[in-house]
Amino acid sequence: MWLVYKKELLEILRDKKTLIFSILLPTIIFPVLFFGIGKFTQSKTEEAETKELKVAFVNASAFEGLSTLFTAEKHFKKVTIESDDYKAEILEDNVDFIIEIPEGTSLPSNSRKQEVINLYYKGSSKLDNISSKRVKDIIEAYNNTERLALGARFNLSTDNIKAFNKPIAVENQNFASERERMGEFAGPLIAYILIALAVSGAMYPALELGVGEKERGTLETLLLTPMTKGKIVMAKFGVIFTASFFTVIVTLLSYFIWTYIFTMGGKMGGLDFLSNISGLDLLLVAVLLVPLTSIFASIMLSASIYAKNMKEAQAYMSPIFMLGFMPVIVAFVPGMELDVKTAMIPITNVALAMKDLVKGTVDYTMIMVLLGSTVVIAGALLYFTTQFFKKEKVLFRS
Amino acid sequence: MIEIKGLAKSFAYDKKEAKKKKNKVATDPREGDGVFHAVRDVSFSCDKGKVLGLLGPNGAGKTTTLRMLSTALEPTQGEILINGHDVTKEPRYAQKLIGFLSGKTGLYHRLTVRENVEYFGRMHGLSKQVMDERIDKIFSMLDMHTFAGKRADDLSTGMMQRASIARAVIHDPKVLVFDEPTTGLDVISAKTVLDFIESYKETEMSVIFSTHHLHEVERLCDDVCLIDLGETKFFGSTQEFAAQTASGNLYDAFLNNVNKKEEVA
Repeated sequence: MWLVYKKELLEILRDKKTLIFSILLPTIIFPVLFFGIGKFTQSKTEEAETKELKVAFVNASAFEGLSTLFTAEKHFKKVTIESDDYKAEILEDNVDFIIEIPEGTSLPSNSRKQEVINLYYKGSSKLDNISSKRVKDIIEAYNNTERLALGARFNLSTDNIKAFNKPIAVENQNFASERERMGEFAGPLIAYILIALAVSGAMYPALELGVGEKERGTLETLLLTPMTKGKIVMAKFGVIFTASFFTVIVTLLSYFIWTYIFTMGGKMGGLDFLSNISGLDLLLVAVLLVPLTSIFASIMLSASIYAKNMKEAQAYMSPIFMLGFMPVIVAFVPGMELDVKTAMIPITNVALAMKDLVKGTVDYTMIMVLLGSTVVIAGALLYFTTQFFKKEKVLFRS
Repeated sequence: MIEIKGLAKSFAYDKKEAKKKKNKVATDPREGDGVFHAVRDVSFSCDKGKVLGLLGPNGAGKTTTLRMLSTALEPTQGEILINGHDVTKEPRYAQKLIGFLSGKTGLYHRLTVRENVEYFGRMHGLSKQVMDERIDKIFSMLDMHTFAGKRADDLSTGMMQRASIARAVIHDPKVLVFDEPTTGLDVISAKTVLDFIESYKETEMSVIFSTHHLHEVERLCDDVCLIDLGETKFFGSTQEFAAQTASGNLYDAFLNNVNKKEEVA
């Protein structure tokens, strides 16, 4: 069996396609794209935050002090517009924002009703939203000043104004740790990535070792050697499992390395909470991947062996991929928790457990329950695969 | 010595196929109720040092017969004996004795020629010393030393076929099974295969050689077994086979023996 395992592994490692899809893509190309896009987005956001915005006022004298607030801020330039066609002025890039205070509008602190001003701009992208937020923030600051002035006219203290503004203020005293809060979001994401990697890592070797051998005509030759079919299929399973598990581990390590490189060895931003995850929890995440990877390896190998040709095998892989992810998506449904019942649902249980491990709220008893159930399912599927491989109508299906 | 007696093999139709066949009148006598009797009654034998030509039209049951002989398929009925050992009861014994080569059997493309041959040698339990000796002998015999380090996907068809032969005989088999080994080969590559089979006539090997090319049978085979519609239609010496017709040639003898309906169809 070891002989077949070593040979299959050697062939996989010499296969450029498998190397590209299983190692190069997840370890170099995807992280570089991921972090590259992140860096690009960050630089574009910073650019939008510091971009000089041209602001024009119409009837500015009605709101004393508003235009001063803008000129006092960095990266704002007050401009004058020539025409009344605001749309043309904006579309021709003569101005970015036009603040129109309609004729007859009173200064808010002198008025007893809500005054309405018009803000003209062209906003269609996220970067435009950043610009408009900068403008609205200054208007909101002016609003606050006017609110205080209005309150003063009615002899209201700052506290009275606060009460009018918001009768009840909630001060959050959240006892959830940062790890729990971040884990609630990051946990499912990490589970999703790990499971996706496990599935994609198993797919190409499964195709190669099953239907690939059929198509090349080497399977028949292999079956005529004194090696038992059981040992042959176990060796093939072992290679698929190794490739899948290796892909997950190598990809994870590569992401840590790339994070370090892209942050110049500094803090990992939102990923700081990961440092709170204990070695035992990380080990358990890896342990959970073992039966999970086995499940996918068995299913994909069976499908690949059953297929008549590569085209048919690839057609089987898509639904397997989708069916593999349905239980993961179920795990992301709000309110889904790891308990005795959910610990019995394959894949969902692993996704839930990974989420809890990342959050630090895991019930270790449930981990044992799910490990037990997943190992039984993985074992049953592996047994099925070995029996399937012994069937003549599967091996010589035409 | 190989002895095949009353061999039969049936395959159950899958649901789709069974449904398709249900409302149709069977045109092939091998079509049964839910099953296809690919091989119904095949018998022949091949002595040591002899080459047996296995003939028959496409779909006659030759490949199925050879797959049963080489243990890939299990017979539904009948007996296959190699040196008196029942292949179905002792498949490991048979696998050690048989070398199999067909036009379809391939090599591992990302392994070198030597790695391919070594892999199968190890599968048959050869020690390193024995393997090195065998590889040296076979590679010299087939003139393969020049491309032994090349990957299989860099080989020409002829080189590939020589490598396949080396792979099939690395464990020094006593029975060689060739299933249409020259199909799709050019004249030079086919000659390599035929020369190799001829060289084995001098040894104590039993060679079963399935082919559509009757000139190959004329050149190599001592005996002939003609299968049609899953049954042995003729088994005897090549001379006896040719002598069945007035012309005395194998083509007429072949056409004389195969099912006429099949031919018309």
